[in-house]
Amino acid sequence: MTSIILLSVFGIINLFLGFLKSNKILLPAVIIFLAIVFGVNFLDWNNPQSHFNNMLTIDNFAVAFSAVMVLSLALILPFSRSYINSGNPHLAEFYSILMFSLVGAIMMVSYENIIMLFLGIEILSIAMYVMAGSHKKELRSNEAALKYLLMGSFATGILLFGFALIYGASGSFNIAEIASFSSNTTATDLLPMMEIGVLLVLVGICFKIGAAPFHFWTPDVYEGTPTLFTTYMSTVVKTAGIAAFYKLVWAVFPGLNEFWYPTLVAITVLTLVIGNIGAAIQTSFKRMMAYSSIAHAGYLLIALTSFNDYSENAVLFYALSYTVATVAAFGVLKLVSDQREGETYEMFNGLGRTNPLLAFAMTVAMCSLASIPLTGGFFAKFFIFGSAIEAGAVWLVVVAILMSAVSIYYYFRVVMAMYMKEPVGEKVAVDGFAAFMLIFLSIFTFIMGIFPGWFNNWL
Amino acid sequence: MIQNVFYFLCFLTLISGSMVVFSRNPVYSVLFLILTFFSISGHYILLNAQFLAAVNIIVYAGAIMVLFLFVIMFLNLNKENETHKSNLSKFAAVIAGGILLVIMVAALKDVDAGTYKAEGFDSQIGMVQNLGMVLFKNYLLPFELASVLFLVAMAGAVMLGKKETGERHF
Repeated sequence: MTSIILLSVFGIINLFLGFLKSNKILLPAVIIFLAIVFGVNFLDWNNPQSHFNNMLTIDNFAVAFSAVMVLSLALILPFSRSYINSGNPHLAEFYSILMFSLVGAIMMVSYENIIMLFLGIEILSIAMYVMAGSHKKELRSNEAALKYLLMGSFATGILLFGFALIYGASGSFNIAEIASFSSNTTATDLLPMMEIGVLLVLVGICFKIGAAPFHFWTPDVYEGTPTLFTTYMSTVVKTAGIAAFYKLVWAVFPGLNEFWYPTLVAITVLTLVIGNIGAAIQTSFKRMMAYSSIAHAGYLLIALTSFNDYSENAVLFYALSYTVATVAAFGVLKLVSDQREGETYEMFNGLGRTNPLLAFAMTVAMCSLASIPLTGGFFAKFFIFGSAIEAGAVWLVVVAILMSAVSIYYYFRVVMAMYMKEPVGEKVAVDGFAAFMLIFLSIFTFIMGIFPGWFNNWL
Repeated sequence: MIQNVFYFLCFLTLISGSMVVFSRNPVYSVLFLILTFFSISGHYILLNAQFLAAVNIIVYAGAIMVLFLFVIMFLNLNKENETHKSNLSKFAAVIAGGILLVIMVAALKDVDAGTYKAEGFDSQIGMVQNLGMVLFKNYLLPFELASVLFLVAMAGAVMLGKKETGERHF
């Protein structure tokens, strides 16, 4: 609760800091704000309480996922150096909108009432529509914003229709009451209405997290959006969406799990296959990362289909390791593409010779995403598959492992381009802060891979 | 009497709702949408939600529809120049929409939503006072956090709409 208030206040303060002549103070200020929020967030650890007539419950689940999301924003922002250097007039607004959108993301992981979930999704989505179009003079960015807005509004409409039907059936927005209604087998008169509502909500949320077959917006939007905000979309938005989805299926609709389970499994398998095969046939690195984010949504959905002692921690660990690796990969992409104009694999040719640090950070990130042992991504998938096997879904794990094998092909294409091709351009200039962040992210990936126990039994 | 009013309003809503989709001229679509909103407000009054009915007319039929009309006139979309869609996508859209309709009808025909009971009825339930009590007591937090949503939208709109140096002047 405190973190929501603090983020809103800091966002407004940040808007006012934008009036200052120099925009050099903005980045340190935002990082300090986020550090404060990150610390204050943990005050509620092991102290679950609900606020404002059960609108919001801050439990360990909410605190842990809020921490991951605040951390990812703090990891992403150091790569915004090119905006500061080019004197972008809207820098304060960028930062503020991202902070406000974190309010929505935190609402999505701590909701106790469906209205809060809806409001959180909307705050996050509207901020993303704006950020997708923030590169006003580029046609691709305009296209991304328009596509995202139109398709996103449509998905919101479907989601809201679902919530309305659920409210009509259960007579309450409170998730505990909805859960008790859905597990009450005697009240069958209104059950079909509830089931249709659940299906529509499933569709809406799957759109927001970019799961197949509702993924068609993802490649175009991720490609057109400025890289900094693509990073935010594929980390914070995905983490918030998956956490909200996890809570939704296991805290709100547990009584109906025989009904939605086959649908969710079908969506999971489709997402895994389409994400990985789609990524393998891309020629643009950024589009590949878009499909890879679909694929990772698929792995996370595996944890959603299995509800046991391991799945919550598995989702948290996966979200954290995926965030760290994705931020590093997009960070290198941003640094390189700012100077080499383009987002194809060829752009990375010979980076290992001109910029060993960038190439190393990218290699670590790709290894983590492809889940090579010693990196965080290996244990992330290990825990997810472990929880799925515990739940008895062995064939799902077999599909996922086959698809991981496909993923090694496309993740290592860029590694091969970096180390085995002739350089295509000059050395890429890297500022100190970004270099430090890349080293930090690489070390963090290794720590997660070598000491996974440190991060795996929080919840 | 009430039942006849209900069926008349339903008829009006459905007819004007489908005319929004079927009319070729966007301005007609918007005008039919206004009619739809008015008939939905009629439903709200039948449901004893007077405040909601008034707000629906003021906000949707009043403000938002005027905005729609403005945008359509500014963009000069009132020519009948819809882009041609391929038959395949039309066919796919019809099948997808039809399947959704079938599922909705099949599921909702079994629903027994209960009947109206006169004894437990509170005639004051849709009044502004009761609505305010619910909004500012039970739903205070979402009500306040909606301001963050508007702040994001406002900051975003100003950011996207503001003229930058070196941009073309219209």
